[in-house]
Amino acid sequence: MNSLSHMLPMLTSLDLSSTLAQGPLPAAMSTITLYHYLFTSAALFCIGLIGFLTRRNLIIMFLCTEMMFQAAGIALIAFSRFHLNHTGETFVIFILTVAAAEAALALALVVLLFRRKESLDASVWTELKG
Amino acid sequence: MIEKLSTLWPEITLLIAATLSMILGVSPSLAIRRLCAPIAAAALVIAGLLAYGDDPRAATVPNLALPHLAQYGKVITAAIGLLLLLLCVGLPDRDYEAKLARGGVFDALRNTRGEFYAFFLFSLTGLMLCAGADDLIWLFLALELVSLPTYIMVAISTSRNRSMEAAVKYFFLGALGAATFLYGFALIYGATGTTYLPKIAEIFQAQYAAGGLSGIAVAGLVLSVIGVCFKIAAVPMHFYTADVYQGAHASVTAFLAFVPKTAGFFALMLLLATVGWASGEATTSGLPQPLHTILWIIAVLTMTAGNVLAVLQNSVKRIFAYSSIAHSGYMLVGLIAGPVVGDGSLQSSGLAAVLFYLVAYGVTNVGVFAVLASLEKRKAGAAAETTDEVDSISDFRGLCSTSPLLGWTLVISCVGLLGLPPLLGFFSKMPLLTSGIRAGEYGLVVVLVINSAIAAYYYLRIASTALLESPDLASSSTVRPVGIPTRPIAGLAAAACVVALSLYTITDFARFGAKYDLPHKQVIPAPSAPSAKEAPAKSPSAPSAPAAQPQANVPGATTTN
Repeated sequence: MNSLSHMLPMLTSLDLSSTLAQGPLPAAMSTITLYHYLFTSAALFCIGLIGFLTRRNLIIMFLCTEMMFQAAGIALIAFSRFHLNHTGETFVIFILTVAAAEAALALALVVLLFRRKESLDASVWTELKG
Repeated sequence: MIEKLSTLWPEITLLIAATLSMILGVSPSLAIRRLCAPIAAAALVIAGLLAYGDDPRAATVPNLALPHLAQYGKVITAAIGLLLLLLCVGLPDRDYEAKLARGGVFDALRNTRGEFYAFFLFSLTGLMLCAGADDLIWLFLALELVSLPTYIMVAISTSRNRSMEAAVKYFFLGALGAATFLYGFALIYGATGTTYLPKIAEIFQAQYAAGGLSGIAVAGLVLSVIGVCFKIAAVPMHFYTADVYQGAHASVTAFLAFVPKTAGFFALMLLLATVGWASGEATTSGLPQPLHTILWIIAVLTMTAGNVLAVLQNSVKRIFAYSSIAHSGYMLVGLIAGPVVGDGSLQSSGLAAVLFYLVAYGVTNVGVFAVLASLEKRKAGAAAETTDEVDSISDFRGLCSTSPLLGWTLVISCVGLLGLPPLLGFFSKMPLLTSGIRAGEYGLVVVLVINSAIAAYYYLRIASTALLESPDLASSSTVRPVGIPTRPIAGLAAAACVVALSLYTITDFARFGAKYDLPHKQVIPAPSAPSAKEAPAKSPSAPSAPAAQPQANVPGATTTN
């Protein structure tokens, strides 16, 4: 948390500090590099994927896909800071919007299914197979 | 960015129509609610004309790798969208309107007509945007705009439990696919620092010149391709296909088999165009080896899994679902072959073959699903309302004698999908084969041919059931046409398109080849052209012989000497 609060003023003054990428990073940043963020995001993505494949509760499965979306968001923000442009951050704003739309859709579908069978378990729904 | 708006009039037209349809769809007056479908049709016609009249060179930022993709994609979207719309008319709210006609009170919350047409148009808008994408953010949003409405269309297509199940399966795997290619896009951005596709292509070229793509770029491309495999129903992400196609109503299934698949292929083309295809000795482009290997494996597995699993099915919808997987595999061959060496343009390539195949597959597919949607099955002795969709092959027994138009539509579409020579499937599959041969992908071509032979089994099984067997009069259920005239019309229109396009390709083969410069025109004369020049020198006795003949004679001549 401490290092994050050090980062914030730097993120807001990107234009002034455009030489930072080449020069040595200040002390507060040197402890957290791009790779830490990428590792976090890859870990989140994998946890989401494993959760999606192993859990059978519809809401948990949906949360796992959301986690994978946010993993991509973290990677984009980190890359955006690394490349010193705002494209990645713009991308993340769009991702948040799409994720909100997906959440609305997912919850509507889950409610619809719950009303039919009074269960959130995906394995109840096995009419289609072959 | 503002000048980009002027290229978006087709999409804007569709969005306006979608909004109108959402508003009019909840009107208490039936006459106004019925306007939704004509408005959607008018919007598609206008959008198609706008896209057709668009000069692709006038675009402010032409996509250099694929200069005609935007215009071509928008026009075929509008054209096949119209056929799909014909198929979907009368689907939303059919039971609800019947209840209203018996004296129910209209409730705007319970009716889905406006939403259905609006989502239909939103999805087609997404497809058009996908064709014109030049930015990763744009591409991501377009792909999501294609898919999100289809989840709802599946859920509201029928009121059966299986539609809900199909929708939720489709949604969850769709979200998984979206997250995967989104992560891939993030990595591509990380490797290049930009989301603008032409700029990405430049940076990749620079990386090639400096000794190869960075690992993060390759990882990003691989993840993007695997994620997009969900849209085209290719192997690692194909599990949903059969269930979803079976659970959704046949009209919506036709939509699912064309729209997301086309969007996926557009996205794949745009993504692969950033690395380019291998061009002989040039080392500044070409699919990176891991990506090429993965695409190769995906193509082989997709073709084989699709066809082998289709053979095992009895449900017609599942057969066509698996055949849809197989067709994606065929198209991947063209995608791997890529454009012709030294010419990055769209016009002389495996990509052109894929684009033509998409139209051929889309049209033929509408024919098949229109027949499925036009028939319903009623159990003997059951109440008049309890009808079921036709699903097993035996439901089609003697269809050509009981309802000849539907029967022949089914036969033409099945044979067209199979690719027997006089019909469209052959003329769309051949460029794929020749582009594969040109690119040196002999393994893929062999797999493609073997799979086409496997596919003959189930296509001919359906066609011969309809054509040769006699109707089963002793059966406990009767199959009869649904009372919605637009569905058979959609099927007939599709069959007519198949026949017309086939005739066009046959009668005008030379001009067709010249116009689109399809690979078969280049590859077949290529070996004979030099030998025709050498022929007078080597065998002056037969200067008027066909070009191929001297070539065949040369080994014989050397052995006798």
